[in-house]
Amino acid sequence: MASHDNDPFYLRYYTGHSGKHGHEFLEFEYSHGRLRYANNSNYRNDSLIRKEMWVGPLVVKELKRIIESSDITKEDDAHWPKKNIVGKQELEIRVGNDHIAFETAKIGSLVDIQDSEDPEGLRVFYYLVQDLRCFIFSLISLHFKIKPI
Amino acid sequence: MSDDEMNIDDGGVVRRKGRGFQSASGGNESGITSEQTYDRVESSHGNRRTDQEQSTAAVEGWIVLVTNVHEEANEEDVQDKFAEFGEIKNLHLNLDRRTGYVKGYALVEYETMAEAQAAIDGASGTTLLEQTLQCDYAFVRPPPAGPKKGRGGREGRGRSASPSRRRGGD
Repeated sequence: MASHDNDPFYLRYYTGHSGKHGHEFLEFEYSHGRLRYANNSNYRNDSLIRKEMWVGPLVVKELKRIIESSDITKEDDAHWPKKNIVGKQELEIRVGNDHIAFETAKIGSLVDIQDSEDPEGLRVFYYLVQDLRCFIFSLISLHFKIKPI
Repeated sequence: MSDDEMNIDDGGVVRRKGRGFQSASGGNESGITSEQTYDRVESSHGNRRTDQEQSTAAVEGWIVLVTNVHEEANEEDVQDKFAEFGEIKNLHLNLDRRTGYVKGYALVEYETMAEAQAAIDGASGTTLLEQTLQCDYAFVRPPPAGPKKGRGGREGRGRSASPSRRRGGD
């Protein structure tokens, strides 16, 4: 059995909003060897996509490296933009003895970060999310031979 | 942060932080933590391997993850290194979104498991631009017991298998 099975390492990212096309969101979650991905866009009758895959220990190690090198657990979402009508993002990570559950508004561009109260912290969040999405989308597209979005 | 935001878990004191813990209702209407049916790749290859960590094939091909890739490596460097084990069907060498340099990993796809295994055995521990590479299958088979239910999220904190090891509150 894989050694990471009892590892409490956990990762979840969600971004979404409710609007005229219903609840549209993108979410991925890693837990105990399993990586899940869900994407619901009702635009032009796109349907819900749910994928899951079981990843090896080296993938987990690399996820942790990306997270730890970002120093995200040293940040705090207290002064980040609050979720709003445009939507929200959630990032929950349990790694080592840190457990964060950050929540903020969607970030449209780097200008949103610059204009915020905590641009440095928000920038760490923004780039970490981009790097995680990039890694996970590569895994999905290679595993399922699809483009995730 | 107040003391009651700390909780004792099997790993010791866990530092909790973030507004996401305040919306105890779960906040989002998200589907991922609810039990739904997820698509997965069912391997049609049968028992390819019988040893401990069973790898799994993607829809077609076998995916090898390579880590500790030098930030200045380019696709050609990786291609040169891994083409000797078989024809590379696909190569992802993703960049750090902030710096624009290589993030540090590559995903290499081979058509056959023999090629993937040769790459894992042959390239692990070797160097590329003076950095020692680590290689392994990106995907593994699901555990035979099937997926565990209700993991993760706010409910997931009851994960401890050994409550007796928990220490009393300080």
